[in-house]
Amino acid sequence: MSPQARDTWEVFVRLADTLVADFDVIDFLDTLTQASVDLLGVTATGILLADHTGTLSLVAASTQQARVVELSQLQNAEGPGLDAYRTRAPVQCPDLAAARDLWPRFAPAVLAAGFGAMHALPMRLREQAIGAMSLFSAEPRTLDAETARLGQALADVATIGILHERAFRRHEVVTQQLQNALNSRIVIEQAKGVLAERLQLPVENAFTVLRAYARDHNLKLADVAAAVTRGELHHDLAGG
Amino acid sequence: MARGSVPVWLSIVAMARQEKAPVGVRHAVLACALACGAGAALSVSSVCGLPEPLFATDARSEEVDELQATLGQGPCIEALTGSAPVLAGDLADARVAARWPALAPAALARGVAAIFAMPVSSGAARVGALCLYRERAGSLSADELGALLLYADAVLMLALDSRGGLTPGAAQLVGRGFTVRRAEVHQAAGMISVQLGISVTDALATLRARAYAEARPISEIAADVVARRLSFTTAGPAPAHDGKPSGKDR
Repeated sequence: MSPQARDTWEVFVRLADTLVADFDVIDFLDTLTQASVDLLGVTATGILLADHTGTLSLVAASTQQARVVELSQLQNAEGPGLDAYRTRAPVQCPDLAAARDLWPRFAPAVLAAGFGAMHALPMRLREQAIGAMSLFSAEPRTLDAETARLGQALADVATIGILHERAFRRHEVVTQQLQNALNSRIVIEQAKGVLAERLQLPVENAFTVLRAYARDHNLKLADVAAAVTRGELHHDLAGG
Repeated sequence: MARGSVPVWLSIVAMARQEKAPVGVRHAVLACALACGAGAALSVSSVCGLPEPLFATDARSEEVDELQATLGQGPCIEALTGSAPVLAGDLADARVAARWPALAPAALARGVAAIFAMPVSSGAARVGALCLYRERAGSLSADELGALLLYADAVLMLALDSRGGLTPGAAQLVGRGFTVRRAEVHQAAGMISVQLGISVTDALATLRARAYAEARPISEIAADVVARRLSFTTAGPAPAHDGKPSGKDR
């Protein structure tokens, strides 16, 4: 196996492990954002998911800058991710500096975060989209057809991972799975706050602590987060 | 604010006006029942883990709600600790009955063929569960399920506000929408829960109450908390740098 093929293989194995063993949706999405960075050769990725009101929320991002940018899309109510979700079609922005007319509030924010290009892929479910995956590059660039296809495949993997089934018949099950995913993220945000205060850390560092603890002790991220919100575990987590 | 939630709030406000009462949780439950063509009941989580039936729209819903608490099984029981709706469109279906072997026949005997339970919670902030009870078997339509989710959101807001000692006017309710999904709001709730030694649920209620008291969006207060410009102490919320309490209401 060539070194490149081996890298790709390792990324897929890591992703498959998260998908199969004792599934934890936020951990899976977190792994997928990182896998996407590795496989697509982009700088950062983010995943937005829609709730029952059609409002998008950030559920995973590979870096803090990506997080900031995704949140900026939501706050400014504009951006490629929102467009990809609404139109259910990929949105390419190879040069963000030239996009200020399209996204007058959002474009400066992405540029300020150090990104030069952004591409968004819809997370598709039959005739709808459940969210969007954003790909960020430091330099302006066009995504070639191969990379765009692989990117869409990864966005589809994200959708399947959340919904556990490709051919959904029942809207109830889709709703239940989305509620679960969105709710899991909320528990994690609450746990980050608890931990940040207990350990006197910045909130973003708290996520790293949670995730490291979950992996080291072979626990689900969701369970660790839930325990932290109940006031448990903080001594163990402080120990590192 | 999400478009879909406006009719929900308006229906709740209309229900309260009919009773000439300030808007409360009961009106959300009543409006939900009407929107979904069912009876409805709200149970709250209690310290000992058993659900406490709080309000029901009719005697039969009340009965089946309490039945679940007595038997310790049912969609309501599962919704109290879960994060997704628990939907049982046909209690006579063998697989459904197998899941709740004591409850299913007892509910059917009382004329309830379908139960749909929705957690009233946001992450670790838990209030309870909102349950619909229907005479006829059949799944909720996509619209009805959507409505149930929105009404559960409304019940959560109203319950948190009630905990925070608030009775917002109708106009304030419609405008204050469903912003609880913002990451910072939840992080702030986590931090406040530690600062005040309270549950995340109460922390969220505290945050909402402060937003109301200062007439500022909850996301702004949350941003201040997360940036450590504002902290909550038992003496009152304080700017973090000088430690002097600035709140008068605690």
